[in-house]
Amino acid sequence: MRHWTFSIDSEGLGHLVLDHADARVNTLGSEVLAELDQALAEIEQTSPKGVIISSGKSRGFIAGADIAEFNEFSDEAQLRESLKRAHALFDRLESLPMPTVAAIHGFCLGGGLELALACTYRVATKESTLGFPEVKLGIFPGFGGTGRSVERAGALAAMTAMLTGKNYKAPAARRIGWLERVVETPDRLFWAARKLILGRKTVRKRPVAHRLMQLKPIRGYLAKKMRQQTQTKANPAHYPAPFALIDLFEAYGSTSKSMRAGEIERFPAMMLSQTSGSLRQVFFASEALKKVETPFKGRRLHVIGAGVMGGDIAAWAAFSGFDVTLQDLTQDAIEPALKRAESLFKKRLRKQPAIDNARSRLRADVKGEGVVQADIIIEAVVEKLEVKQPLFQRLEEQAKPDALLATNTSSLPLEDIAKGMRDPSRLVGVHFFNPVAQLPLVEIIQGAATRPDVLEQARGFVAAIRKYPLLVKSAPGFLVNRVLAPYMFGALDRLEQGAKAEDLDAAAVAFGMPMGPIELMDSVGLDVCLAVAQELGLDNQQDNSLKQLIGQGKLGRKSGQGFYAWEKGKAQRTLPSGDAELGALLLKPLVDTCEACLAEGIVQDAESLDIGVIFGTGFAPFLGGPLRARALGVV
Amino acid sequence: MSRDVFVLGSARTPFCRSYSGYSDQTNLDLLSGALNGLVSRYSLSGVQIGEVTAGAVVVHSADWNLAREAVLNTSLSPNTPATTMQMACGTSLQGALMLAAKIAQGEIDSGIAAGSDTISDAPLTTGRKLAKRLVQLSRSKTLKQKLGVFKGLSLGELAPIPPSTNEPRTGLSMGQHCELMAKHWQISRAAQDQLAVQSHLNAAQAYRDGFFDDLLVSHNGVVRDNNLRADASIESMSSLKPAFDRASGTLSAGNSTPLTDGASAVLLGTREFAEAHGLPILAKLTAGQTAANDFAAGEGLLMAPTQAVNQLLNRSNLSLQDFDFYEIHEAFAAQVLCTLKAWEDDEYCRNMGASAALGSIDRTKLNVKGSSLAVGHPFAATGARVLGVASKLIHQHGQGRALISVCTAGGMGVAAIVEAA
Repeated sequence: MRHWTFSIDSEGLGHLVLDHADARVNTLGSEVLAELDQALAEIEQTSPKGVIISSGKSRGFIAGADIAEFNEFSDEAQLRESLKRAHALFDRLESLPMPTVAAIHGFCLGGGLELALACTYRVATKESTLGFPEVKLGIFPGFGGTGRSVERAGALAAMTAMLTGKNYKAPAARRIGWLERVVETPDRLFWAARKLILGRKTVRKRPVAHRLMQLKPIRGYLAKKMRQQTQTKANPAHYPAPFALIDLFEAYGSTSKSMRAGEIERFPAMMLSQTSGSLRQVFFASEALKKVETPFKGRRLHVIGAGVMGGDIAAWAAFSGFDVTLQDLTQDAIEPALKRAESLFKKRLRKQPAIDNARSRLRADVKGEGVVQADIIIEAVVEKLEVKQPLFQRLEEQAKPDALLATNTSSLPLEDIAKGMRDPSRLVGVHFFNPVAQLPLVEIIQGAATRPDVLEQARGFVAAIRKYPLLVKSAPGFLVNRVLAPYMFGALDRLEQGAKAEDLDAAAVAFGMPMGPIELMDSVGLDVCLAVAQELGLDNQQDNSLKQLIGQGKLGRKSGQGFYAWEKGKAQRTLPSGDAELGALLLKPLVDTCEACLAEGIVQDAESLDIGVIFGTGFAPFLGGPLRARALGVV
Repeated sequence: MSRDVFVLGSARTPFCRSYSGYSDQTNLDLLSGALNGLVSRYSLSGVQIGEVTAGAVVVHSADWNLAREAVLNTSLSPNTPATTMQMACGTSLQGALMLAAKIAQGEIDSGIAAGSDTISDAPLTTGRKLAKRLVQLSRSKTLKQKLGVFKGLSLGELAPIPPSTNEPRTGLSMGQHCELMAKHWQISRAAQDQLAVQSHLNAAQAYRDGFFDDLLVSHNGVVRDNNLRADASIESMSSLKPAFDRASGTLSAGNSTPLTDGASAVLLGTREFAEAHGLPILAKLTAGQTAANDFAAGEGLLMAPTQAVNQLLNRSNLSLQDFDFYEIHEAFAAQVLCTLKAWEDDEYCRNMGASAALGSIDRTKLNVKGSSLAVGHPFAATGARVLGVASKLIHQHGQGRALISVCTAGGMGVAAIVEAA
């Protein structure tokens, strides 16, 4: 066996260890599964007192199935045969005559969790992460995980886990019944597993409530509730997998066995769907985006300019563990940013002392003392060359020689900002989007002079604060604003010609956008939209409703009134049901511009462009991005 | 056989006032954090260290093998033995001296001395009477015996006992003892406040200069000492009320160290060990001395360092003025000032066996990077912190020597000398 090793110790306990021979993380590919079959045969022959299944990797148990292999399947019948073999394998593990324990350290996701659930017991270190992310790939668990997780955790908890795809830390996983024991450190895993085996711990009886939930009438009721709730998050036409999973539960959920049989029946259609194919592509592209060759080593960030962008970048970095100084002309100018940071910390961290400690990582710095110590300095001051140029000349003198110098400009060419710097190759753009805490993308702007190692460091920094860095050439609007502008102004033209804002927005949402173009303009700020359009030469009308609104001081969400009235961050209107075909027409200029950007080399390849536009604009992920959507003939 | 012993590096967690940044941490968490910081900073992963000594003052009974458990939480070789030891606030400096002796003797080539303390995770215990009943309960077999155990139980017995750092013999707190010292040596409030402010300002400047950058490792999301006040001033310091003697006291919350949580560790070794592992040599640890006084009979509780230093100077043929840096742990500003004044006092010095007063020190060389008043004082962690700072100072200075002293509960003191390597 290349990937598994099996041995029996002096006490008669079997140790089955997975250490994927060709990869840094363990996945359950066909070769690994075939070898597991051999290993199980050996276990059956040698009949140890118990078997402990663990990972040979220092971090991580099993990350899931081998998603790269998914693309090899094109035929439902062929896929179903393959699933049957995998199910037979997991059933064989489950029915071994001796107790088995999954000893988990690190991530145990998807297929890895399904394998663990087929064991008699599960123990995990406290920082381990368990979960079923399948739904994010347009599928649901396919190695028997649907039935087994419902059996262990009850329908409510298990279905919630599978429908949301969220991760559970070990203590939470124990609370819902996935784990028997949680231990502090990896070296305790074996001893906890040994005790479970030798002590022959009785597996916890399923609570009556769990059994009741699987009775047919109650299943029907639960399914209805789950559908309602899931519909508020996802459109069944775009994301069929969670709804198919609810159907599966309703039809087959009476026992683990019947649900697993139903899983074999219903899984292939999901995996072969266009949505799943697109979401897999999105997954691979997003993994590639955040992969950084050299992790960012620095821990100190200095932000200059405590406006909305600067303040929120500083708060996000502090939240992510950086030691941050935030500079502006006066303490009063910094206070609002600190207030917003406070609510971010409270909302995301919830507990003390984590909130206090995050607050202590963000310090107001009117004198700019943080400059000399910073590993990275981000400028987010007013968009004026006469302010930025002398600033960077000064920073270049004061900062550490290896500190990263970055600008968050969204409209000025890097080459102009760098004028007057002794070494313009140090300057890089890091373009965040508003609101910083919610938007996962950061454009890394490469000026004509920017050095490759500076770009790589900037990518490393962005990855370190848990955002996705996208390399973009310095050109007006960079990528995201450039592709959004014709989309928004195209919609504006239709509005001028008499279309209703609600209809336009509903059409875009029906197409698969998170919000429509008019609401988007309101959210971004009408003045900002106009500035971007002017920069891109799209503003060719003397007078339109946009300019009238701006003239009246109605700037969108931030001023409480734009195309819509806004209250508590929500547009006050109800969307009618939308026309997806109109939506596709609205999106056409966006996709056209994406093609132009690719042709001009603004972004290095189609995959990066697709994922960048998904993360930057919310473009329908189930279509795999604008270029893929065009290839599919959707827009 | 006697070999040279070198300080190769140190690491500590930022220190936090108790009940703040580490309110969810245990001594084991903190100690593991400091050791892990040392391991990652000096690439000691997988390295077998000759011995680790570590301890904490306020401990849970479950921490009986604290040092070894902390080592097992690091990526140091599991073949690294560890001794849990304790000498109140002198713990980690005393640990370093014990390891240094073993290294000098050739028993080991390397050692890590560490200490940790947290008041936020206070070990509440039951009273003796209740504990006795519970032990009896576990040993009794019949129901009748079991019930009998609780005969005469009073409500008062059920109250948990919080940990106390009061001196068992005198019943006084450290602060109350130091008030007595301040009165004896006539240390003014103004002088104490001045020293405290200087400590904050020195530490704040050291932060700005990046002096602590390679000494601190972030822990639990904390990146800086949270007791430090860069804006400390005589005005704000002098506005604080007396903390231990409301009527006529001079010690305040500002010129006394706060209860603090944190941990620190210092790496010692021979030159060969350093070279074999590509480690820097910061300073040579040349001598150490512990001493104790008869505080129960009236000597100042925190005055024993005066004697430790006197003996150390005698052994080393040095005078008190032969140093470039003085790292005198600040339990209280008053205790530092009493110590300095005692060294200047002929009679006091003759009583401890010197021929005359040891004399004054150049105050500009005292605690130049701030000390416990500024950064805080997690009891057992302070010794390793001070040794780490002194060694880095000497390394930067490139020559000369530094005098270290730490006062401890029970009327004891630990002193040491580090010199340029």
